[in-house]
Amino acid sequence: MGDEAKAIARGLQRRDPDLLDRLIEQYQYRLFRYLVYITGNKERAEDFFQETWIRVLERGHQYDGRSRFEAWLFAIARHLVIDWQRAKKTQSLDALTDPEQEHPLQFANENEPSPLHQVLSQEKEENVQASLEKIPAIYREVLVLRFQEELRIDEMAGVLSIPVSTVKSRLYRGLEALRGALPGGTA
Amino acid sequence: MSADLHVRAHQFIAKERVEGLAQAEREWLGAHLQECARCAEFARQTEQALRSLRTAAIPFPSGLASRTQFRVRLRAQELREREPHRRALWLACAVSWACGIFSAPYVWRLFEWFGQLTGMPKLVWELGFGLWWTIPVLFAAVVLLMENARYSDEAGWMR
Repeated sequence: MGDEAKAIARGLQRRDPDLLDRLIEQYQYRLFRYLVYITGNKERAEDFFQETWIRVLERGHQYDGRSRFEAWLFAIARHLVIDWQRAKKTQSLDALTDPEQEHPLQFANENEPSPLHQVLSQEKEENVQASLEKIPAIYREVLVLRFQEELRIDEMAGVLSIPVSTVKSRLYRGLEALRGALPGGTA
Repeated sequence: MSADLHVRAHQFIAKERVEGLAQAEREWLGAHLQECARCAEFARQTEQALRSLRTAAIPFPSGLASRTQFRVRLRAQELREREPHRRALWLACAVSWACGIFSAPYVWRLFEWFGQLTGMPKLVWELGFGLWWTIPVLFAAVVLLMENARYSDEAGWMR
């Protein structure tokens, strides 16, 4: 990891366009998936996807190569989403930041299929999408980072700007929520 | 079997996925799951839930990567074009400071003369002399603020 991360850091310092092209291709799916899960909306995720890479270009000199690039990338994406939420004030920032917040991201009309539902159902993942929609955004986020992106707990703490102990407690609750949300679940 | 044992087993099942188990804990859990069908089912459900999460697919929009690459290249070019402008600004500030240092005795006399001419209290024209030094910094700050405001307008597409 070390050499690759250092090489990325050096390339970002130089704002190397070829490196950025390669990084966009390499991380496109993972970043997009993460954004869909935290925004719950495909179109918005597309906007944030582009904006995240612009931010990577502009702030690339801040990446020192000591951590994995994807952890830094997800942190940038997350901050953009939080800034946007703060600016729009359409929902409480706490939905992604407060561990005690019980409500998931609010969709426009709860009677209609949510954007997340629409995105996932395109792939006939009915059970999964139904389960994930029932899970509050803060827990969905940690589940995605841990079990899809396979970040370490300390890396997640960096991405989320919260203590390791909070990451763990969110993971435990998220796991419980996921299990409970599945059809025939036990919670 | 005690209810506490099942609670403990459930905790270990979650802990195994979240932060891993110590060897002794893993051995205890393995032995318990062999004896307890209910906890074994709980473990199976947990594993199935995570497998579903890992395999959930989200289609990637076609053309998004190339659109992003294009935007990033445009922005990189814009930043490269702005760099000489920034350097020129800082150079101008540096030259201004240097001129300020060399001209300080003359500027002091000028302020003194103006103060005496207008009958202004000494403290006021001395303060004016002090403020004189902040002019390059203020100028640079105004230019940077204007630049940032323009950039914010350009980046406002998302809002």
